[in-house]
Amino acid sequence: MDAYVEKGAADADDGRPTPPAGTGIEAPPGPVTEPFTGPTADGSGGSPAADRGGVGIMALSMPYQVVLAVALAVAGVFACVHLAMVFLHVAPSNTLTKRHGQAVDDWVYPEFEQNWKLFAPNPLQQNVSVEVRAEIVAADGSRRTTGWIDLTAQDTEAIRHNPMPSHAQQNELRRAVDFYLNSHSDDHTPNGMRGRLSEEYMRRIAMLRLADLSGDVERVQLRTVTRAVPAPGWSSEKNDTAPSYRDFPWWPVTDADRPAGVDRSRTEAGR
Amino acid sequence: MSTPTPRPAPGPGPAPASSAAPTPTRGRAREPFDRRLARAVQNVTGRSLGPYQTAIVRIGFSLTWLVFLLRELPFRHELYGPDGPWSWEMARRLIADNRSFTVLMWSDGRLWFELVYGLAVLSAVLLLVGWRTRAVSVVFMAGVLSLQNRSVFVGDGGDNVLHLAAIYLVLTRCSQVWSLDARRAARAAGAAAAGEPARHDPVGPLLWTVLGGFLLATTWFSQVTGEWWLPVLLWVLWLGNGLWWLVCRFAPGEPRTLLDALANLAHNTALVVIMAEVCLIYATAGWYKIQGSRWQDGTALFYPLNLDYFTPWPALSELLGTSGVMVMLLTYGTVIVQVAFPFTLFHRKVKNVLLVAMMLEHAGIAVLLGLPVFSLAMISADAVFLPTPFLVALGARVVRGRDRLWRRTPAGTVPEQRRTGEEHGPRTLVG
Repeated sequence: MDAYVEKGAADADDGRPTPPAGTGIEAPPGPVTEPFTGPTADGSGGSPAADRGGVGIMALSMPYQVVLAVALAVAGVFACVHLAMVFLHVAPSNTLTKRHGQAVDDWVYPEFEQNWKLFAPNPLQQNVSVEVRAEIVAADGSRRTTGWIDLTAQDTEAIRHNPMPSHAQQNELRRAVDFYLNSHSDDHTPNGMRGRLSEEYMRRIAMLRLADLSGDVERVQLRTVTRAVPAPGWSSEKNDTAPSYRDFPWWPVTDADRPAGVDRSRTEAGR
Repeated sequence: MSTPTPRPAPGPGPAPASSAAPTPTRGRAREPFDRRLARAVQNVTGRSLGPYQTAIVRIGFSLTWLVFLLRELPFRHELYGPDGPWSWEMARRLIADNRSFTVLMWSDGRLWFELVYGLAVLSAVLLLVGWRTRAVSVVFMAGVLSLQNRSVFVGDGGDNVLHLAAIYLVLTRCSQVWSLDARRAARAAGAAAAGEPARHDPVGPLLWTVLGGFLLATTWFSQVTGEWWLPVLLWVLWLGNGLWWLVCRFAPGEPRTLLDALANLAHNTALVVIMAEVCLIYATAGWYKIQGSRWQDGTALFYPLNLDYFTPWPALSELLGTSGVMVMLLTYGTVIVQVAFPFTLFHRKVKNVLLVAMMLEHAGIAVLLGLPVFSLAMISADAVFLPTPFLVALGARVVRGRDRLWRRTPAGTVPEQRRTGEEHGPRTLVG
């Protein structure tokens, strides 16, 4: 029974009768009887036909067995190392990652990066809105500053009663401002290349959404408005739900921040 | 039907040449270690395990990606296009730093973008139906990585799990069942059994040649396409497929068995990695939650229900949030299920119960939090742990439903009989 448990750690083991192990002679009762049909790019070019003399390591002669055994060892080691690296990547900072963090990062980034702290350790307990205002130069040269325009409210509006919100509505601005706040100090100094990129990203998102404004946008200012989710009615907890504001600096808008004409009409049509 | 058949002890067949030990007919615990090891090695090199599980994972993820791409069609330029808010030039600067794989860096042209997006859609359709899966799964991976890495800041957990699955799926034989590949193989087997000569297949070599062109381009652009190992992997896969074709033609003996065993080995290793990844996902999600005060006091679930970005149905969210006891039960239940899941793999029945609970929870998240694509991706990942009897029954039901839908002539006709016969055969190839 123990061998069964060992193998059956998951049902991926399909539980069908196994061919008798190690028969090089007899046709196994089970395996795929798919004679080769020629395609190279074929998914099912599975096991050789039973009449060709069995499958697996037992059907091979010594030199081939050695090759396969080496491959088995390599595959086993590789899988173990990979899983260990991914484990260390998702685990909290610990003795090993403090010592060998660089090796873990080198292995995992960029393609195996992952973050499964979904709503953990605590779910987000506040609504963060992004608002923008713009300084506009009209055709006659006069300047005016718009009122605050709530960009997040546009997203929320698009998500309401939408069974399948787009990433453009649900993730784009939400993650962009997250990215910005994570790559800037409290006084809005960018920390390196990522910080500068995130600034440009925020500006471009804002400009895309201000595309309908008439006149030339010369400068924009963003701010975040954070409102705590009110404590549930059934709890005795009380919390302060007054909004708190965080103003970003005024940024001059360059041509690089403006969406290309064709693109603008399309994305606006989609919105 | 619900109890999987335990593996029979090695039968009374001819004694294996490599072992002199007599085959025990029962008392498996006393089976010598070397004998058990030999059998395990034979198992991982002789078969690609979990044909139904890998097939359902393939179908799940390709469907997820297809649904996502079609849904984002009107937004594709904003999300991934050269002039989107995350512009091509910005992506280039970030990718020069993190070296992630994307063919979209080959050109900032509009046409190239549309072509890549179109190919991504096409590869999702083809992987869904299991056409030339060994090649298509590679194209699928290239599509997923290219689009996601082009704009890393628009993704969520669903994109993340799809990203990983797309890479791992490349190494699996995920079309052993429920695929056009399997149907073609079954037909060829039928023809061979009837003594007909093998049909010439021009599509495979053609596809191989075309993809070879893309591979050359990848190599040419390797400076801007990502880390070194991905092009190497692509070369290995491409050469491996070519070698397989050659070996099948000219050396159908041991070289072919060796390549087949290597493919089984890669498949089984990737399958273990996929299963471990799912466990890591739930372990991480669960264990980090335990440390959070909101998960401890049983109110955690209340908060996502009140976040603007995750309340497509405010009335529904509010209704669920009005009952403190309900919120607490769901909050605790979520943590318990996530923490417990990896350990329940040692007990099939408990595992299946938790699996159902997790899939239902994800289905709930799909509606309640407006995250259908994320949920579909997570359910696809969970599906790797579905029991074979359930999947076989599911497959049979789908086939019956399809036949009813298409108003096929009722059982009695030849194709119907043959299909039924296949379903109960030892190696099911449900077309």
